Amino acid sequence: MRADARGSRGEAAGDDIGVKTGVGAQKSSATTSTENAGTGLYPPPAGIAPSTSRRMRSIRLVLLGAGVLLLAWGAFVMFDSVRLTRIPGVALWIAAAIVLHDVFLAPIVFAFGIALRRAGRRVTGTVMAIVQGAIVVGSIVSLVAVPTIVAKNFAPANPTVLPLNYGLNLGIFWLVLAVLTVVVSAWAMLRGRRAVPQENSVR
Amino acid sequence: MYETQRALATPVRNPRMATVIGRLLGAAFLICFGTGLYSHFLQEPLDWMRFATRPEFLYQITQGTHIIAGIACFPLLLAKLYIVFPDLFAYPPVRGFVHFLERASIALFVGASLVQITIGLLNTFQWYPWPFPFRQVHFALGWVLIGLLVIHIAVKLPLITRYWSKPSSDGAGSDSGSDSGAGNHLVDAVSADRASNAEAVRLWGTTRQGGLTGRVLDYIDATPRPSSRVSRRGFLTTVGVATTAVVALTAGQTFTPLNAVNLFAPRKKGVGQQGVPVNRTSEQAQVAVTALASTWTLTLAVAGTERSFTRAELVALPQTEVRLPIACVEGWSQMATWRGVRLRDLADLMSADPETSFRLISLEERGSFSKTQMGREYVRDSLTLVALELNGETLDLEHGYPARMIAPGRPGVLQTKWLSRIEAIEL
Repeated sequence: MRADARGSRGEAAGDDIGVKTGVGAQKSSATTSTENAGTGLYPPPAGIAPSTSRRMRSIRLVLLGAGVLLLAWGAFVMFDSVRLTRIPGVALWIAAAIVLHDVFLAPIVFAFGIALRRAGRRVTGTVMAIVQGAIVVGSIVSLVAVPTIVAKNFAPANPTVLPLNYGLNLGIFWLVLAVLTVVVSAWAMLRGRRAVPQENSVR
Repeated sequence: MYETQRALATPVRNPRMATVIGRLLGAAFLICFGTGLYSHFLQEPLDWMRFATRPEFLYQITQGTHIIAGIACFPLLLAKLYIVFPDLFAYPPVRGFVHFLERASIALFVGASLVQITIGLLNTFQWYPWPFPFRQVHFALGWVLIGLLVIHIAVKLPLITRYWSKPSSDGAGSDSGSDSGAGNHLVDAVSADRASNAEAVRLWGTTRQGGLTGRVLDYIDATPRPSSRVSRRGFLTTVGVATTAVVALTAGQTFTPLNAVNLFAPRKKGVGQQGVPVNRTSEQAQVAVTALASTWTLTLAVAGTERSFTRAELVALPQTEVRLPIACVEGWSQMATWRGVRLRDLADLMSADPETSFRLISLEERGSFSKTQMGREYVRDSLTLVALELNGETLDLEHGYPARMIAPGRPGVLQTKWLSRIEAIEL
């Protein structure tokens, strides 16, 4: 039964790959022997679904066991070294981090991406990717830099902690980033004009 | 839920990209964990532990790497979360108890990772806006995260092995509409569905029956989509540039060649008394009076014998000059020239057994590092000094006047300032 199931799944996947790329079914069935069937955006985890290879399954079981042990040890260290009354604070911060990312950051990034692409619908895909990339790079550097600006307002422990003018530095950084973005976009546009313009396919 | 996933689909949100970014992030986590453990055990060694004293900048390297890898986790973790975000809307949300456990472990993994890198970063500014102790929680979360990482790898192993190497013939995204080829995953089927919907929106204005949700989704569908290849390459380039930027603009606090572009690190090389940054000040340690008192002596206690040295007596002993970095657990470091008496010479003067470890006691009365231990490998090292001078001048009060410890490869908190007493630890 099981061998059958594996065979047919391998074939199906092999066909899929074979059609598009001409890769032999042999190779693809080798790769898919470790694969899980699944629905949804990503195939479901398979600690869970039966693994098709015995070796794979034993490796995963060992890893799972080791991970659970490490996790339990971490929990023990936490309860052993942190006063019980402080632990809810840790839990609160972890929960807040999830909410902050999933409810605020990710949707804002998504909405911003949509807005940007609509605003720049005349721009080629490459230039759009460059502009988007620059905004992301700037945002992530700001994410690391802004806390220094805030912390400096709380009178650092001594003058050698946070000694720089971080606001000015961040301004300089954005300026350089903007100039680089313009230069690289211009270069990409020039290059794109020479080559066959095929990148702005909206499909 | 499916509509949400569909709306969120982009060419970069696929298992291959999750594997590519995931293994970089995993490597960064392992580096942080390993260097963090090393730093932890240097500060709280188990009895049998002995440490390398060479290269003398070893701790500068390990702890500098700890902070650099931690900072690199910001772009890498956000990229990883971006890729897998649609998974949040998996439907049905829970398919059973095991699936529930898996999703719960992911939630904890995400939350704990974000907290870990955030408190780590803020600790380097000595800013603690949270209701729990930093050191203990950072250490415990380190174990928790490594456990969750190993569990995550176990759960995703089939996907990881499948997408470890690039799908053959660049199936990951040829532009010309072959979005359902090899290496194109369910997510791309979702994208293709969205593309046809976009076509419908273009032709007929809308495809759904009324409602705010429908209109929002149509709006999203009508938005121009970038080509797969451009967005994948753009995404990887962006992650690479962002990681390079955050590292390059902060690593100068420990890595000298990058000092010139140190824009955002909490420390700057050469900024501080005698060109060396300060962590704990004499004011915080409340030692100004005792350290400047003319009655100060350094007492050595070995096997029941005690002997006190005035500063003048220490200066009269043979002096040694060494170049050693002071390297802080917060990730900064500063090379300096130190001059003083070899600890080994003092130990020999007291005829201490070469096998004994020492206890270092500061004038500082409170503070977790006012009493620390020094293993015999450091005691016997020719570079370990009771330092009296720094960079050619009498040691500044902020750097531990009248005398401080300086040893190769140890964290700054163990380079005891304002020394008061050195005891052999009798077995």
